[in-house]
Amino acid sequence: MARTFLCTCEDATVEDVRRAFEKGYRDLESVKRYTGIGTGPCQGKTCLAIAARELLKLGATPGEVVPFTVRPPLHPTLFGALASLDPEALPIDEGVPRRPPAVERPRPSGPLPAKAQVVIVGGGIMGLGLAYNLCKRGITDVVLLERGFLTGGASGRNGGGVRAQWTTPTMIRLAQRSLDIGDSFAAEMGINTWFRRGGYLFLAPTPKQVERIEKNAVIHAENGLRTRVLTPGEARQVVPEIDDTRFLAASWNPDDAVVFPWPYVWGYASRAEALGAKVRTFTRVTGFESEGKRLTAVNTDQGRIAAEVVVNAAGAWSKELAALAGVKLPNEPERHEILVSEPLKPWLGPLVSNLGNGLYFSQSLRGEIVGGMADPKEPKGLHMGSTLRFLSRFSRALTEIIPRTAGVKVMRQWAGCYDVTPDNNPILGAAGYDNFLQLNGWVGHGFMMAPAVTELMADWMAGDPPDEIFTRFTLSRFERGETAGEDFIIG
Amino acid sequence: MGRLAEERFASDCTILVDGHPIPARAGERVTSALLAAGQPLLSRSAKYHRPRGPFCLAGSCSSCLVRVDGVPNVRACQTPCREGLRVETQNAVGGAAHDLLGAIDWLAPHGIDHHKVATWNQLVNRVAVSASRKLAGLGLLPDEVPAPWPEASDERFEALVVGSGPAGLGAAEALARAGKKVFLAEREPALGGRLRCRLDLAEDPPLEWAGEVAEAVRRAGGEVARGAAVIGLWPGEGEATAAVVQAGEPPRMRRVRAARVVLASGSWIQRPVFERNDVPGIHAARSLAVMLAEDGVLPGERLAVLGRGPEAEAVAARFAAAGLAVERLDGEIATARGRNRLSGLDLADGRRVPCDALAVATARMPAAELARSVGAPLELDPETGAFRVRPGAGGAVAPGIHAAGEVTGPCSAAEAARAGREAGEAAARG
Repeated sequence: MARTFLCTCEDATVEDVRRAFEKGYRDLESVKRYTGIGTGPCQGKTCLAIAARELLKLGATPGEVVPFTVRPPLHPTLFGALASLDPEALPIDEGVPRRPPAVERPRPSGPLPAKAQVVIVGGGIMGLGLAYNLCKRGITDVVLLERGFLTGGASGRNGGGVRAQWTTPTMIRLAQRSLDIGDSFAAEMGINTWFRRGGYLFLAPTPKQVERIEKNAVIHAENGLRTRVLTPGEARQVVPEIDDTRFLAASWNPDDAVVFPWPYVWGYASRAEALGAKVRTFTRVTGFESEGKRLTAVNTDQGRIAAEVVVNAAGAWSKELAALAGVKLPNEPERHEILVSEPLKPWLGPLVSNLGNGLYFSQSLRGEIVGGMADPKEPKGLHMGSTLRFLSRFSRALTEIIPRTAGVKVMRQWAGCYDVTPDNNPILGAAGYDNFLQLNGWVGHGFMMAPAVTELMADWMAGDPPDEIFTRFTLSRFERGETAGEDFIIG
Repeated sequence: MGRLAEERFASDCTILVDGHPIPARAGERVTSALLAAGQPLLSRSAKYHRPRGPFCLAGSCSSCLVRVDGVPNVRACQTPCREGLRVETQNAVGGAAHDLLGAIDWLAPHGIDHHKVATWNQLVNRVAVSASRKLAGLGLLPDEVPAPWPEASDERFEALVVGSGPAGLGAAEALARAGKKVFLAEREPALGGRLRCRLDLAEDPPLEWAGEVAEAVRRAGGEVARGAAVIGLWPGEGEATAAVVQAGEPPRMRRVRAARVVLASGSWIQRPVFERNDVPGIHAARSLAVMLAEDGVLPGERLAVLGRGPEAEAVAARFAAAGLAVERLDGEIATARGRNRLSGLDLADGRRVPCDALAVATARMPAAELARSVGAPLELDPETGAFRVRPGAGGAVAPGIHAAGEVTGPCSAAEAARAGREAGEAAARG
């Protein structure tokens, strides 16, 4: 066929780029994500300039034609090679890339209305999911403000895992609902999310971890999950390539899933807009106005918008945003690094996580291994740089559990921030002002919880009685001392 | 097609491509052997299963990924030949030439919008997702557990120079002359960068200069590392850390720390934009020139050369002298012909140019990734879309880090050498 290719790693054509641009994905970061250009093994070395030239031809502004973020490794590098570096000798530093100050920013996706019934701050899956669900319930006077491009925050940076294997009935209930929504999301929203129920396999390398998964399996059974505790031999039937001498038992739920995160964000955004909401990207909140116990308006770098209700769904930026209103949240951003390998034919069914060291990995529908690993030495702070230490730690952990991956290459690493709270549970409900609603503090599992949570929040905002999560996970619980920690955080 | 009939280019080993023996010269790249054998087809593309063959021939694009001795997604253009090397094509059912899944390309003449396909119904979607998973991915997981790599080294030098083209050579020479212990990292097995094309353009430094610089670096206590790919550069307190994959037997990782860095990483070829611009047989002109000079490889019988300027002119002259029918294109290309191999080009003005290989000598993009990762300021050239590094005095782009040569925009080899020397001198002072 007579196609004109722009990116031959992903078979993306000039026509694909034009279509994306016309849909409103105008800046290079957004075009890259929507079309796939630059996401393959060459990482944009063969297409960045021609993509920029095509965008200029289509009428993009200089602020929109800024190269997509560069990340290590410069060339695909074997996990086996990176595993030969001693992670303990490598620093946890700011990482790369260091960014020069931006000269020009992309223009906002549209003008800011003078007022709105609901102003949502944060264009991640929480904010966009809420905007969509409000619209579905007839509340369509909704304006969502996003400081950058859609998928620029944790919703575009996570590993795409959706699991019901939690430790409390509440979290299990929310996750199960999100999994159900995942089944129908593509058909309902008209965009593929590549939702796949490949299961989650948690590996327990110590007797203490075994005790933990056995205890959880009982809770799971009580809450209707099909979780089973497997012997190493049984786990090997699920993942034949695994080294079954490295763990004592495994927790297996075949109904857990992995998705591709970006389309969830785009799907919610475009359906919300079709129903009447206004999504404004590249619009940054600079302050709030208040009267007594109510916020009255939101100030942005694009002007002022009066609001009846303001929702803080700013993820890792939630604390910073609340501070602009004089409200102190206990949330702290914390960097979590992640990487993706070259694409392989399917060989790995589930998402695998090692409870001993926090390693997790799955195979995306494009065939890449996508995975991360928490670093206990990571300091709090809003950083998104990539470190060599992570490459080395992850590669050692992965090649230990799946030795054949030593012959697979890392294509790209990146990082995002968890929005961490003292008890690993979210901050919901009003805080500081009666109409300043919180929807943050999800500690790395916001993406998987958002479909369910935003439904419940929209129900509540539309007049239904609040779900227990909105009375339980309030900011005031810390003053009341009513906290019960969630201990099944991974990644 | 074939090779120059010179003794030094005679083949001395055999590699196996999907089981078929191909004559090769030990140490040359797999792509050299394949092009000399008239086989520019290597695999099938990710989405539409279109025929794919090597394009950049310099380890930057992904068009030549193959399975080598059981390891997936290896760049054929970066793989040295040796007796019995096992090369397998990827992502094709029934061989790269007659891939049954090539039907996908024909069944979707207007393209496949992967966001929308099969989203009209939940059941259909589930089936489509499952089928997509089976189709996705390129290579297969390795057959065996590879031998472990030796423990990575931790080394300190006074200066790191990335790239040994004219700019890198100029920088390394200046630093060595100032008495600095230099680590000169070159990803290719030979020094010289574009000087390896042997085009001998006016004022070009001779390739022999690379040997002199290497000697100067060694005399000052430094090291010239060939086959050393810098995969990342992390700035730190008073020094930067580079992660280097060092080819060799066995290969190893090196952590190289240096207070001064000169980035002379050159440029990447960009795929020219026209219909069917992915047909095997379209290659970077510089790489073809290197293959001609070093391996005597003739990429076809009729070569078209795209691009203006002295480099395009010299490449055309070299291949004409080697006996190929060469045509320089002076108009815009509308479409390429041929399926598994280029058979001709239709120009926008209606002319048809028969050819079985195209040498691309159009604008290249600065290889600015490492410079960008340390925060170098950039400038967009609106005509080519290329982002070039915009250095300050002495090539400075970040504390202790300098850039020179094509990474800062198009320049001749002589200009690059001069800028490299200035950057090296500035780095030595700093």
